[in-house]
Amino acid sequence: MSAPKRTPIVVWQLLLGAALLALWEAGSRSGLLDKFFFSRPSDIVRRVAEMFASGAVWGHLATTLLEAALSFAIGVAGGVLFGFLLARNRFLSQLLDPYIRVANALPRVVLAPIFLLWFGLGIWSKVALGVTVVFFIVFFNTFQGVREVDPVIVNNARMLGASERQLIRHVLIPSALAWIFSSLHISIGFAIIAVVVGEYLGAAKGIGYMISQAEGVFDTTGVFAGMAILAAVVLCVGAIVDRLERYLLRWKTRDDAAPESHL
Amino acid sequence: MSVAREAIRFDNVAKSFAEYTAVEGISLSVNAGAFLSVVGPSGCGKSTLLNMAAGLMNPTRGSVSIFGEPLSGINRKAGYMFQQDALLPWKTVEENICLGPELRGVPSSETIAQAHEWIERVGLKGFAHRYPHQLSGGMRKRVAMAQTWINNPEIIFMDEPFGALDVHTRLRMEGEILKLWAETNKTVMFVTHDLEEAIALSDEVVVLSAGPASRIVGTYSVNLKRPRNLIDIKTEAAFNDIYGLVWRDLREEVLRSYERS
Ligand SMILES: Nc1ncnc2c1ncn2[C@@H]1O[C@H](COP(=O)(O)OP(=O)(O)OP(=O)(O)O)[C@@H](O)[C@H]1O
Ligand SMILES: [Mg+2]
Repeated sequence: MSAPKRTPIVVWQLLLGAALLALWEAGSRSGLLDKFFFSRPSDIVRRVAEMFASGAVWGHLATTLLEAALSFAIGVAGGVLFGFLLARNRFLSQLLDPYIRVANALPRVVLAPIFLLWFGLGIWSKVALGVTVVFFIVFFNTFQGVREVDPVIVNNARMLGASERQLIRHVLIPSALAWIFSSLHISIGFAIIAVVVGEYLGAAKGIGYMISQAEGVFDTTGVFAGMAILAAVVLCVGAIVDRLERYLLRWKTRDDAAPESHL
Repeated sequence: MSVAREAIRFDNVAKSFAEYTAVEGISLSVNAGAFLSVVGPSGCGKSTLLNMAAGLMNPTRGSVSIFGEPLSGINRKAGYMFQQDALLPWKTVEENICLGPELRGVPSSETIAQAHEWIERVGLKGFAHRYPHQLSGGMRKRVAMAQTWINNPEIIFMDEPFGALDVHTRLRMEGEILKLWAETNKTVMFVTHDLEEAIALSDEVVVLSAGPASRIVGTYSVNLKRPRNLIDIKTEAAFNDIYGLVWRDLREEVLRSYERS
């Protein structure tokens, strides 16, 4: 006898989402939720559809994605580079330790106005903000990843004839990759959040700007529509990273998956 | 009579970790082409000796020489099969075995065929594209053996290589090692806690005392004829004579190490 088929979890997840949306819709239709403050799902969906139909949203979306992609790329490159450098150089890591701590303890939002002054209203002030967020997440994870390399594996590679450079290529990078990847998941989300906050505080384009404009005229539906688009973007990008991770970390068992980041 | 070349030489070597002295006053010479085993109670410093001879650790006092040259840095003439799992988890069996030649710049087209010979020799045909976490502990040990031997080093250090293997596979691997060793004239320094294994394989068995400050209690020559039949050798009278002799000393050290812990 075969076991009864279990309903896949995705079905339940979708059902939960649908139920919550239905509750929201019903609440606002019955007047329990004030439409002015809470809008309603059907309006939001219609608005998003309009925005795409009229093409108004594309420019904003492209700007935000470009800013996020730039801050992600620069932040990851810098974070991985410095992570390796400091993990391999004890003097440098001890010298810079207090400064890194201080810099990381700084709330990034307060930097936004300064970056606006320095880099202007265009994309670079947002990219700068995004980089400060991404860099530290990736940096700490890379640093940790390189430090946590199993010394027996390092010794084995050295006995097999590895030079310092070969050691980095064959042992340190693959070993740190799991840590770096766990930071990529988080830093992609944070890169998008950071540039949107930057746009919100002062810009001429982007999803964040769009949201702040809607808010300026008390257009709740417009705010929610912007949020919905952002959420969809973050989910899509996350799925791509997931795919990449599955491929690059195929040598790992699923149960000792990448360590959680500490935020 | 020709003087045998000295492959490894420990000169009054001591190694301390912070306050703890692991080994002390170790003087030992291993002739080129010899098969030498080191036995002793757990934690006495067997791996520490290998690490120093491999150049992964510096002695606190004394010195190690390899073929007459004082050793500094990694021992380039040696291969080392570690006690712990040391395969690169992100490389497949085949990639792990090819690693040594690859690091030394041998083109992979030349290595692959050789790697597959090794994969067959250690009984892992069909597993070339598995990752280490998909293998059993004993299979990983066999990959490690191929990974070390494919480099054809003059000296080989092996740290309890067969502890995780079942009796059958173990006998096969031991036989394979002896055959390879006899064919290639390598010097082997072999660590085990199994005295029968040590005697069956070696020309010479060294017994270390219980730690701390472990010393060499005795060095015993094993003059059993070669090639040896590993299955029958354990019932030979000469084998049992030597076993009795070494065990008298080893037993005392094992008991001492029990008392201390
Ligand atoms: N890196 C280290 N730092 C501190 N102590 C160490 C270190 N390496 C070894 N020791 C200590 O030195 C002693 C000898 O260790 P070693 O690993 O050489 O023992 P062993 O004879 O190989 O034992 P086993 O048979 O269990 O493998 C042990 O008491 C161990 O705790
Ligand atoms: Mg050991």
